[in-house]
Amino acid sequence: MSKKAKVLLAPLDPVHDIGLKIIKRSLDEAGYQTILLPPDYSSEEILKVAMEEKVRAILVSRTLGYGVAELLARFVDMAEAVGIRENVKLAIGGMSIRPELAQELGYDAGFGPGTKPEEVIAFLENRKYEPEIRGAGKIKRDITKGFDYAYSNKNIEKMLDHIVTSIVGWGQNKTTPGIKRAEVRKGLLELPQGKDRTHLLQEYLRWCDAKVKEFYLEGTVLPKTRLLSKEELRKLERYVEETNKRMTLQVIQHSREKPVVFIQYGTGCPFMDIAHIKAGEAWGADGVVHFDPSWGARTEGFLEGYITHEEDGSIITPENLMGIKSSLSPHTIWQVRAHRGLNTPETVLLAGAMGADLTKINIAYGSLGGGTDPARLTMDAMQAIRYAVEYGLPFDVVTNEELCGVPAYKAFAGMLITAHLGLRLGGRPILQPLFCYSPEVMVSGDMDDNYVDFNAAKIMALRSIIRAPIWPGAPIGFLTQTEDRVQSSLSTALHGALAASLGVEAISIASSDEAYSGGPIAVPSRIDTLKALQEAFRFFGLSSIAPTENAQVWAERLEKGIEEVLETVAERGDFVAALYEGLLGSVAEGAYPGRSGRKTVMML
Amino acid sequence: MGEWFERVLDAVDIETFFACKDEKEGRVLAMQLMKGFGLKDADIVFIEHEGPGARVRARGYIHRAGDRYGWLEGGTDDE
Repeated sequence: MSKKAKVLLAPLDPVHDIGLKIIKRSLDEAGYQTILLPPDYSSEEILKVAMEEKVRAILVSRTLGYGVAELLARFVDMAEAVGIRENVKLAIGGMSIRPELAQELGYDAGFGPGTKPEEVIAFLENRKYEPEIRGAGKIKRDITKGFDYAYSNKNIEKMLDHIVTSIVGWGQNKTTPGIKRAEVRKGLLELPQGKDRTHLLQEYLRWCDAKVKEFYLEGTVLPKTRLLSKEELRKLERYVEETNKRMTLQVIQHSREKPVVFIQYGTGCPFMDIAHIKAGEAWGADGVVHFDPSWGARTEGFLEGYITHEEDGSIITPENLMGIKSSLSPHTIWQVRAHRGLNTPETVLLAGAMGADLTKINIAYGSLGGGTDPARLTMDAMQAIRYAVEYGLPFDVVTNEELCGVPAYKAFAGMLITAHLGLRLGGRPILQPLFCYSPEVMVSGDMDDNYVDFNAAKIMALRSIIRAPIWPGAPIGFLTQTEDRVQSSLSTALHGALAASLGVEAISIASSDEAYSGGPIAVPSRIDTLKALQEAFRFFGLSSIAPTENAQVWAERLEKGIEEVLETVAERGDFVAALYEGLLGSVAEGAYPGRSGRKTVMML
Repeated sequence: MGEWFERVLDAVDIETFFACKDEKEGRVLAMQLMKGFGLKDADIVFIEHEGPGARVRARGYIHRAGDRYGWLEGGTDDE
């Protein structure tokens, strides 16, 4: 059809014509002569105009309802009766319209909700519509880019310098089984294909728990786990290949580029993880976070092979990580957590070697809320940070001890110590305050009115201290979500909108199953929150959420509290002792120095 | 029709995710699922397909407006 051709746009509807107005604008821009009729014309009146104006196409819009299908079919019959059907293209558009329905009713095309004007133009020009591949321009962002980590609060910087110097000094001439294993693992990874690895494996097993030794030496699998078969692996490969061919990636962000959105996976099975990751990627997740089982964190040593697990948390093995990595879209940011547990250095080593983009390390949380001995984790975390530097992995410093009951200012003091240690060792830390309804605020009542002020205060306080990337998590809105998926999705979306409004770099979001504990997360619940967040970003655009004056007051209070805690830790002169003694979170506050790995720090 | 259906106020919605190649296949699977559950007056309220599959909300009407409602049966004014 020539671009000078006349197109009649007719709302065969008593009221609605918005869709046609949008289409008209695009057709006008494309050079068509358009005639838009007002709503509530009868079929006869529309056809009369079509004949008088000698139009080449009629685009009818109508929302489906009782009796409408008959009305639409009759319109086609009448077009035939007056003799214009053969020379005039007929299309129908509106809510609930589908191409198959349009065909049944006798139209040449049908356009449903979300139709792009380009689709209509392609129809008029007898071309196949080739949609722009969504996400084609999606890029993998470096969350730490552009941050110089300059301190505005020089007093805090001075105290952190002092504390970190004492940590590095304390760690000299010490090692742990975790560090030893990571060294051996590095040797195993670097061993040329086909070389005998017996000696290295024996050395590795020297530093492992009995159940890990039994796995390697006797083939004893751990309870509720099994090795995946070659046949299953082959089928998975095919599934990923076929899915990747069809993949397009939605973009969640609207007007703002930030925050980058992470989802968390750890179904237990690497196959199910991959299926969930692919759905997450397709519906717009920018990054994915690997969750390992809690028992893995309390076990000395990693298993090997493709292993599935019947419970929460996907087992870290070189093969499992490799399989997951190979399924990821090139745009997807991949984080493997190493923030707690006895395998911290090896986790970061494997993450780096397998191509992860990020990891997660925090001594204070891992030893006060994660169950690992403070001395052990301090040593292991230092080595983990060194591996993170070697492999170029930025790492977030999470403050989950808030969920145990530790007040935010104490958790933040611990976070800043680990972050500063990271900077000292050449790393690129990311601050991870929680956006949560924590025990602290439940008691204080600081969130009785709203969930905005206290979370905003956290960001304001951190920004007043240091210019560092901030990634609230994990997940945002923790303890605000219920089993009701609408409530849960909305809460996540609103927290995400707040994060966007505050201009943070990234967020981690939950599924709408966050509060459900009766079984694994189902994939529709992952998509629920991605869709809700996308809509929230669309709704708020570049507008902002305005906290009340409480946010500034609480930000100042938080900063002062952080300074006081750091002063106490600096005065103590021994970071590890400060952890044991509760200076960064006490037993009364719900922080318990972990016992896993106690007395395993060895002198070199 | 079982009592469980009679007590449904109007409709049963089933929401799931099918691993499938396109929306058309997702629609077919959804309608087959509804049929398999004995929901004959079925339709698809919503379906969205992306690479890995289709999220779908399928609906089976048990009582439409004007029907005799099962959930009104089984009681008397004296009870």
